[in-house]
Amino acid sequence: MTDKKKIEIDRVFQALGDPSRRAMLERLSLGPMSVSRLAEPFQMTLAAVVQHLQVLEEAGLVATEKTGRVRSCRIESAGLNLAGEWLKARRPEWDRKLDRLGDLLAEPEDEQSQL
Amino acid sequence: MKTMEEQAVVHNTFVIERAYPVPPERVFAAFSDPAKKRRWSADGESKQIESYDMDFRVGGKEHYASGFKDGHPLAGRTLKSENMYRNIVPNRRIIFTSTMALEEKCFSISLGTVELLPSEKGTDLILTFQSAFLEGADGPEMRQAGWRGLLEKLAGELAR
Repeated sequence: MTDKKKIEIDRVFQALGDPSRRAMLERLSLGPMSVSRLAEPFQMTLAAVVQHLQVLEEAGLVATEKTGRVRSCRIESAGLNLAGEWLKARRPEWDRKLDRLGDLLAEPEDEQSQL
Repeated sequence: MKTMEEQAVVHNTFVIERAYPVPPERVFAAFSDPAKKRRWSADGESKQIESYDMDFRVGGKEHYASGFKDGHPLAGRTLKSENMYRNIVPNRRIIFTSTMALEEKCFSISLGTVELLPSEKGTDLILTFQSAFLEGADGPEMRQAGWRGLLEKLAGELAR
């Protein structure tokens, strides 16, 4: 792995290592919004929110742009494919179902239809 | 913003194999009898089951609706699963199509194949599951739920 790639990965994990930044990403998952609207539920100054956003932007997780006096932000989620993650989660769900099928088959025959 | 025509589709396929120490007839019965099927496929997941019914024949359907716990981003929403049986060979094979929807809005469509092979020890089961996920059809709340789940997983990893 090149040093540049390593730095990028380190940046992402460093950005995600903070619970406030993770909460901001979760809020932005609802859609793009102005920085002031993003900041609403957080118990910190706007300046603190902007600092967190800078870390997220440098990690490539968020993009911001200024239109007139309003700065807006949105998720850049190229690396985190939610649909793919959801589909992959179907496999462990089926693993659990097939485990439970095994448990049911291990019961004596006449008990299996009882709810 | 993407138009309807530009919405991407995400695909995923997996195969799971299991061995059960009972004959194929017993395994098949656990798929064809609604009382048994419900016990292992619907009950036991953490979501609350709101309704369940099954009509096991080619062209017949299995429906179930489930809710989400309080505090979940999808709390108050209903996840509806509908499976339609397309091919049944008694004690050997079941092929079904499956949709998942939040209320009436379908966001995922799948094809499932269950094969039961007699073996010395009982039955080998092979499940092949192929899914298409309609990007954007899941809506903002499900996206948020997905993000929350991902971030929690990441938080768990970072805490090690």
